[in-house]
Amino acid sequence: MRRALWPAVWFSLIGAYPLVWHTAFQQRLGALVLLYAVAASAWNIVGGYAGQVSVGHVVFFGCGAYGALAAYTHLGLPPIAGLPLGMLASVLIASVVGVPTLRLSGHYFSMATIAVAELVRLIVTNTQFLGAAIGLSGPTVPRTVMDLSFTSSLPYYYLFLAVLVGTLALTWWMENSRMGHYLRAIKDSERAARSLGVAAGRYKLLAFMLSAALTAVAGSLYAIMFGFVDPESGLGILTSVKMLLMSALGGTGFLFGPLVGAAILVPLEEISNNVFGSAGRGLTFVVYGAVIMLLARFQPGGLLELLQRHVRRRLPKTGARRDP
Amino acid sequence: MILEARGVTMAFGSFKAVDNATVAVREGEILGLIGPNGAGKSTFFNCLTGDLSPTQGSVHFRSQDVTRLPPEARAALGIARSFQVPLTFEGMSVLDNVMIGAFLRTASTAEARERARAVLERVGLGTFADVSARSLGTPGRKRLEIARALATEPKVLLLDEAMAGLTPTEVRQAIDLVRSIHASGITLVIVEHIMEVIITLAERVMVFHQGREIANGSPAAVTREPQVIEAYLGKRAARAAHGATQ
Repeated sequence: MRRALWPAVWFSLIGAYPLVWHTAFQQRLGALVLLYAVAASAWNIVGGYAGQVSVGHVVFFGCGAYGALAAYTHLGLPPIAGLPLGMLASVLIASVVGVPTLRLSGHYFSMATIAVAELVRLIVTNTQFLGAAIGLSGPTVPRTVMDLSFTSSLPYYYLFLAVLVGTLALTWWMENSRMGHYLRAIKDSERAARSLGVAAGRYKLLAFMLSAALTAVAGSLYAIMFGFVDPESGLGILTSVKMLLMSALGGTGFLFGPLVGAAILVPLEEISNNVFGSAGRGLTFVVYGAVIMLLARFQPGGLLELLQRHVRRRLPKTGARRDP
Repeated sequence: MILEARGVTMAFGSFKAVDNATVAVREGEILGLIGPNGAGKSTFFNCLTGDLSPTQGSVHFRSQDVTRLPPEARAALGIARSFQVPLTFEGMSVLDNVMIGAFLRTASTAEARERARAVLERVGLGTFADVSARSLGTPGRKRLEIARALATEPKVLLLDEAMAGLTPTEVRQAIDLVRSIHASGITLVIVEHIMEVIITLAERVMVFHQGREIANGSPAAVTREPQVIEAYLGKRAARAAHGATQ
């Protein structure tokens, strides 16, 4: 019970945020933090726990986004109806791409995923069905409540919060199951893991597919909130880097790492966009580059690892983070 | 025969690290594999565990051909191993390390945790269960390798220089541990550099030199063979030893 206390307190604070900070900007900011936290948490499953650093996750994000808006554009359905379609497509792509690329280790896997993502972006840019370079739009005026098109960010905030709680609950369950243990073993030494009977290839693929499906959910939610997706916003490499960086900043392989990372980076980006306007667009890259360098040099484990070390030093007997 | 290699050759390009090696491990024995540095012991060992796939020949476990099975499938059959340079899961606690092995026989986290604790008690690491594995020194890591392997409930355990880098006291403790594992009914294959360890533990020894088996028999008989002395100490020593016994 005591273990559930802190998350409960935190989530009630997060639930109260948009009621206390209630300007449109603050509510929109909160919703975006939660949305990116969902995407980064999904990335964390394969990139953090299993240690397979994908830099092509935007493909799955794009599947969700395009799935939602294609369902509206071509079938006249509410965008949310395209969500299962996007998930299915991303799981399919993950399994086709994962079988050959997950055999690669380290940087080679990362590079292969970048290549796949850029390839998909180019294909979509030239596909009329998916709006080509112009992109797809959602309903301009909501037809029913099922279109999930609101002018206020408040409903999005709670929708994203619910999805985030679901994503983290699933991740938590996985972390404590055999699969979570196996993924962490694969991350530390795939050879040792296999000698102990871990079918490394199968578990990496499973993690990749699960991560892809959840990333597609984040993509659909993004498209529903913005009502628009084009190759740059839905399939650009910057989104992949954001997912990776938010996880890494918070702490890869930590349940709440991506949320912490998103809570820092999203406001940073939004505020710089507000202050510098369109001139600040390039600045985002500069800030992200700086964060990558600082992390790699000083704290590769992320902020939560720093916190964990600090707490351990003060209370030497709380070593067993993952045990009851 | 619990584990058998028939005419195993492992070539890297034109270099044969293992050349036509045949060995049959009997159920319940302790077999020692020795040989000078670079003799091909570790390569042969990796062919038995599935880390390497031999260029020629076959490997059999209880008369089932496992030559093309990956390491994880061989582990499931009951072949476990330790690594010469310990491959500790450094991001985990000692207990979690052993749980990875225990998960092979149960999907339940609680059950795996319980079994892992029992194995840690058995190898004398019980008090270190909740410590981060990163903080263990070489003796602890070597012991953890064995604990993880034991948690998979193996039929045959292959130890790759499990005692290299240990002090004489630690070696004696490790020998006791290996004896107790053997007493519990597990067949053992040990690769070892330290002669004292082989002579005290192994009932039968296979000597490797330049990828080939050059002698096979009891430790006492094998160490008298001129070829073995030559491999370890050079031709002159072999002649001198031969002259002395005449």
